[in-house]
Parts: sequence; structure tokens; C-alpha cells
Amino acid sequence: MNPNRRRFLNTTAALGAAAWAGTPLWGAPPAGKFRTALIGCGWWGMNILRDALAAGRSKVVALCDVHAHALEVSAEEVNDLSGDQPKKYRDYREMLAKEKPEIVIIATPDHWHALPAIAAVAAGAHVFVEKPTSHTVQESRAMLNAATAAGRVVQVGLHRRIGPHHREAMEFLRSGKVGKIGMVRLFVAGRGGTETPAANAKPPLGMDWDAWCGPAPLRPFNPRMHPGGWRNYLDYANGTLGDWGVHWLDQVMWWTEEKYPKRIFSTGGRPVSGAVVANEKEATTDAPDTQVAVFEFESFTATWEHRRYADNPTERHGVGAYFYGTQGVLHIGWRDGWTFYPTDKNAPQAHGNPRFDNEKDGHNNPPLWRDFIDAIDHKRRPAADIELAHRSSVLPMLGMLSYKLGRSIQWDGAKEQIIGDAAANALLRRDYRAPWQYPKI
Amino acid sequence: MPANSLDFNTALRRLCLLWMSALIFVSTLSAEDWPNYLGPRHDGIAAETNWLDRWPDAGPTVAWRAEVGVGFSAVTVAKGRLFALGHRDGREQVQCFDAITGKSIWKQDYAAELGAKFYEGGPGSTPTVDQDRVYVLSRWGDVLCLDVAQGKIHWQRQLAREEEARVPGWGLNGSPLIHGQLVILNIGAAGWALDKTTGKTVWKSADGEAGYSTPLPITWRGQPHVVVSSDSAYSAVDARTGTAAWSIRWLTRYGVNAASAIVRGDEVFISSGYSKGAGLFRIREGEPVEVWRQRQFRNQFSSAVYLDGRLYGFDGDSDSRAKLKCVDWKTGEAAWEHELGFGSLTAAAGKLIVLTAGGQLLVAPASPKSFQPIARAKVLEGRCWTAPVLANGRIYCRNAAGDLVCLDVRAGR
Repeated sequence: MNPNRRRFLNTTAALGAAAWAGTPLWGAPPAGKFRTALIGCGWWGMNILRDALAAGRSKVVALCDVHAHALEVSAEEVNDLSGDQPKKYRDYREMLAKEKPEIVIIATPDHWHALPAIAAVAAGAHVFVEKPTSHTVQESRAMLNAATAAGRVVQVGLHRRIGPHHREAMEFLRSGKVGKIGMVRLFVAGRGGTETPAANAKPPLGMDWDAWCGPAPLRPFNPRMHPGGWRNYLDYANGTLGDWGVHWLDQVMWWTEEKYPKRIFSTGGRPVSGAVVANEKEATTDAPDTQVAVFEFESFTATWEHRRYADNPTERHGVGAYFYGTQGVLHIGWRDGWTFYPTDKNAPQAHGNPRFDNEKDGHNNPPLWRDFIDAIDHKRRPAADIELAHRSSVLPMLGMLSYKLGRSIQWDGAKEQIIGDAAANALLRRDYRAPWQYPKI
Repeated sequence: MPANSLDFNTALRRLCLLWMSALIFVSTLSAEDWPNYLGPRHDGIAAETNWLDRWPDAGPTVAWRAEVGVGFSAVTVAKGRLFALGHRDGREQVQCFDAITGKSIWKQDYAAELGAKFYEGGPGSTPTVDQDRVYVLSRWGDVLCLDVAQGKIHWQRQLAREEEARVPGWGLNGSPLIHGQLVILNIGAAGWALDKTTGKTVWKSADGEAGYSTPLPITWRGQPHVVVSSDSAYSAVDARTGTAAWSIRWLTRYGVNAASAIVRGDEVFISSGYSKGAGLFRIREGEPVEVWRQRQFRNQFSSAVYLDGRLYGFDGDSDSRAKLKCVDWKTGEAAWEHELGFGSLTAAAGKLIVLTAGGQLLVAPASPKSFQPIARAKVLEGRCWTAPVLANGRIYCRNAAGDLVCLDVRAGR
């Protein structure tokens, strides 16, 4: 048995009876359908919900979104796919109170993960929430605490933890064939250039923009923010490091025995896209187009780098993770699967192709969903459990924290505090916009 | 140069020109102009029959090439002139070329944001020619009436600023429709009409998120109407007054109802991408009744064409998993599908002229049996999302970056 597997069983046992003793499920028989609700009815939320419907264990009772059009489109599609007639809500609190869902899927932008997730588990629901867990570190901690207190299953959408080629690559890593690993390099590159500001505009008809911003700062609506563009606005997300970086940092956390890095430094900026513009008339994005982050662990160092220009024509792989060991380099990628390049040129290469459940979007969300249901049925921790996902998700947040601060930070992962830096610690949270209150930990 | 100094070469050139003009005259007998998006009958079908549908290995002759700026506008061709619209350095530019030689005749432009939102951006509407005027709608609500001869501006409006026209997420992309004295635009919940001589607003629909399709003229109960898409419906309104006639609720993710409706008798076909699918509706007493609806024929923005009881069009969003499909009008069932990736098409003489997203141009008989190309050529690099145009024996194709190519496919040269 590999050490990771053993640790997983241990933590499962440690979760123990206490967490599971209380709150029974709302009368759902083990093989019955769970009353399922979706908060955030955009592209990815509907991807998850379709997988949930396909798995045959969900009855969709409610949809929640601050954009009436998204709500209507999604309700119609759910009805077409399943015959279910979900109720439509703008406010997740009202939805939780009235529908009492057993499963809540949360696929809102990062700044809107923590409050609904905490409310959902407190209301007794199991939660499938998108990655990264949250926008700031202490939200993520509060989500983990709430899930533990409520004894609910919380799966985070880190589908690369379950994708077949990722599992194969991880087995290969653990077989020792890569040798002793001292360094991991994580990267992605895109094609882009100078960014000119886009004019702010009226929010789309039927979109409650104030509610969309919610606990985050209320900014003028800009067509680039929605749909999907919020990833590059730091009020609502953490840029490419938060969006893409978390998948690859999660591969590192999956592999290593260590629970957190001890030192983090990040630098970068917008040398190509240009200065940030954000005024009443127009705006650019504000996430870095260039970023390097270093995560120093006890036994190895991991680096992240991204560029939103130039692509990656000098390398064989455009995205992923290189694990550098004494026997060679293991690459885990996306559509290019995984490949081992031995140091000894005469030794054989090894390779595995990806096997996606969804070829179009290139992901393995369906097995992650089935694992979630199985974890609920069998009262076990899921593959991308909130505790594991929390450890992975805080890494990009800490990287962004260092980037904003302009200095490295010493991280006490046990206390989740930055050592000797009050200004840095202040950035582990932020004040919410009234009337929302930052979750207590 | 005085006439008496004509040397032999010049004389020969003149003779050639004379001979070529004679040929042009002959070939135009079966040719016609393409003065607006989707052509003179608004159906994406050219009436031309006398064109080469088989090409040498090297492909059809390239008559000329030009740069027309970033965007997805198709071209229009009228009276020997070609009109194109594209974005360049913070401006949208209307260009007029000699359609035969590619010689630039005039340019006109106006300030406009690129609007690169998950794609290259630039304008998506096509200039519309009406007699001696050309009408242009920008992404952001500018409407221009230009003089065909020199590109002089007769009038210019900015409807977003002047009348609070709502600009949808990817900008205004429907092309202007000239209807009698009106320029009808896809703006608001169900269209907006300006007087074509003055540019003054004649009627406008309620505030709403416009769709991205071009207003389609139809006759409904003997009266002229137009079908306009919004983010949640395809609606028919009286062309003269904007009065609502009927509306088919059609909710599509991101509000992208972009393909034109196809109307035959009292039946209306509509289709959208983003997993939406297609439907056929019969309009009875002003109430749409669903004949069929399915989620496997998703025209993202290029319209399908109707030929002999079948629809031919691309299913799927702009990626390599999209397919060309033939769907039965009456039942909505697919007769065949062909793995071609994304693309767009037009039709002429019972044949499909298909441009793939990768720039491959194919000709194949429109048949419910199968898709069997009889000609193919790689005509462009880059991303091609704009349907090819056949006019006067030339096929015009463009890509997103703005490379325009004119292919000479006149038969019997």
C-alpha cells in the first residue's frame, strides 16, 4: 500500500463517528434521488448539473442565479433533459430555506463560494463546489470548518484528481521510477497582447449586478467581466494562478506527503497587457499577464509560471506539471496526457493518453460526481475532499498575496498564519461589502 | 497618351480587354449581385448556375486578395463593386473595391472598440447596398448611410448614445435590412427602424437584449413583416410599424440567437448553438405551435440553408467537434452528418459551397444521401467563421484577421 493511500484511510477513520453521528439525511434512501440545487447557472454549473442528471441520482429541485436569463435557460434545459421542474431563485438563502436541498452545487465566481457553501452545509446539504475553494484564505478555512462541523461531504471540482491519466501518472510517480524528486515546475501559456480598455456598459437586462458583486466590491459592469471574464478581475478571482494554477498545484499536493509550503514568493505584472484601467467609463482586466510563484517545501521546491502571450512554442508541452527526479522528468498535461522522459537516453519513455469523459471540454467531471455520490452513500471522504482542496486552493491565494505585497512570506501552515508580517496576515481575509459579513473562523 | 502613338503591346492589351469584357457579359447572363447578407432572397442561396464546381489540384484561380480588417462581416457585391467591413487600429473601416480586379475604390471609417471577447472581435454585421447607398451597422450602435460612388457619409447615427440603444454582450451583429423606405436593425427586444433617407428613428421595439441575427423579411397574413431575434425569442413584427405579430420563445445561453430564421409558408425554423438545438414551429392564429424540437442541430451563428425539403448547416459551437448535418425539414431528423469541424456554407445550383473554420473550401451536391465533395481547395489560413459569397462567377472568402480572397470560378472562360 502506498503511503498516500494509507494516509487517506487514516484521515477517513479520523473523521470518524463524531462528524457523521448527527444530522440524518432528509429521508433520502441510499439508492434514491437526492434533492439537488444549483447555485450559479452558467456554463460550468450546467456542465456539473448535466453530469449529475446523467448519474441518475439527482432530482433537480432548484436553480439559483442573479441573472434571470441564465436561470430561465437552465430551467428549460433541465426540464428537457429530465422532466424535472426546478424552482427558480435569485437568493440562495431563500432557496435553502424553502427547498431544503440534500445536495447543493456551487458554480459561482470565486468571491461567491464561501457564503453559500457555509450556509448549505449548515442547512444539512452536501456540497459540490467549484475550484478554487474561495477567494481569500480564511474563507476557505471557514468552509472547511463548517463542513467538518456539519459532517457533510464537500467535494471540490478538482477533476484532475480523478482523471485516468492523472491517476496513472501519479502511480508512476509513486512507483519510484522518476527517482528522488527535488523540483516541480507548473506552467501555462496563452496567446495575447496589449489590452485596450473596454467601455463600461449597462449590465444585461435582468441581471442583478449588485447581487453578482455581492460581498466583493461593487464595480461598474464591464462586458468583459461576464460571462467568464471575472477570472481576470482580482476583486472576484485570482487570475490565471487561481484558475489554472490550482489544478496543477493540486497535483503537487496530491503527490507530496507535506501539507503546506514554508515560504512563498511571487512576482510578475502586466508588461504586455499594460497598465490597469478602472474608472467610471472604462476598464481593463487587472490580473497579471506574467507571473512566477515559488513554493518552497521542506523537501522540494515547486514553481508556477504563466504568460498570457507568446504561447509555448519552444516546448513540447503547453500546460501542466514537470516533476524533476533523479531518473528523469515526468510531465502531466492535459490533452497531451502524461509522459516520462528518462534521464538515461537509452531507457524507454513511458506515456499515457488522456481519457476524458467530456471530450469537448476535456475533463473528467462525471467520475468526480460519481465519487461524490458514492462518498455520501458510504459516509466517506470524497476524492477532492474540502480538506485536501483547501490545502491546494490556498496556494494560489498565498501566491497572489505575495504578488500584491511584493515580498516573500513565511507560512506557518499549521496555524495558517504568516510569520511576523501583520500586513500580510491582514490579506488572508478582506472586509465584505455590507450587508455581507466575512465568515468567522 | 495620344492615339497615334499606340504601340503593338497596347493594342494587344486593348484587344484582350475587349475580349474579356465580352466574356464577362456572357457569364453575367446567369450571374447576379449579392447586395446584402445572405443574398438577394435572404436565404443564403445564389441563383448562379454557370460556375466551376470542379477545380484543378491547385484550386480555383485566385483573382485578387485584400486586407479588410478584423471581424466576421461577409462581403456584399453590387454593380461591380464589393463592400467589406473590418476593424483596424481602433476604427471600423468600410472598404469598397472593384469586385473583379480588387482595386481599392474608397474607404470610410469611424471610431470603434475592437470588442475581442473570447475571439478576435471586430464587426459582425455586413454592409447592405440599396441602389446608390450602402448602409452599415457597427458593433456599438453606429449606423451610417454612405454613398456607393465615393463613400461619402449621407447621415450617421450613434443609437447607443443618442437613444440609449442597448448593446448586447458581443455587440450588434445583425446586418441592416432595407425595407421600402426603412433601414431595419436588430436592436432592442424586436427591432428598430430608421428612415433610410434621413436616418431618423421611425419605430423601435421595447428595451431588450437584441439577438445577433439579421432581420428577415417575410409576408405574414399578406402584410410585410420582419423576423428579429432577441436573447430569448424570434419575433415577427410589422415591418412598417414594428407592431408585434407573433413570437417564439427561444431561450439560448448567453442570449446568442444568431442564425437567421428560415420561413416557409406558415412554418418557421430556428436554431441556436450553446446546446440549444433547433425547432420547427407552425404559426396558427398568431400562436406558434411546436412541430418538432431537438437539441442535435445547433446553428451557432451561420445560418443553415433550405434546399428541397432539407436543411444543411453546421451543428455545434465553434470548435473541431462541430459537424455538417443534413436535417429533414418536416421531422427534424438528421439524414446524415459529416465530420468537418466548424464552418459555414452557402448554396448555388443545388450545390453546397462550404468553408471550414480552417479555410478549406469544398463544393458538394446538396443531397439527403450523403456529403460527397467534388471540389476542394485550401483558400485561407487562420480562423474562418464567415460564410463564403458567390457573386458573378466569383467566390469571396474571408477570415477573422481580415484576409479576403476572390476566387474566379467563372465557367466557360
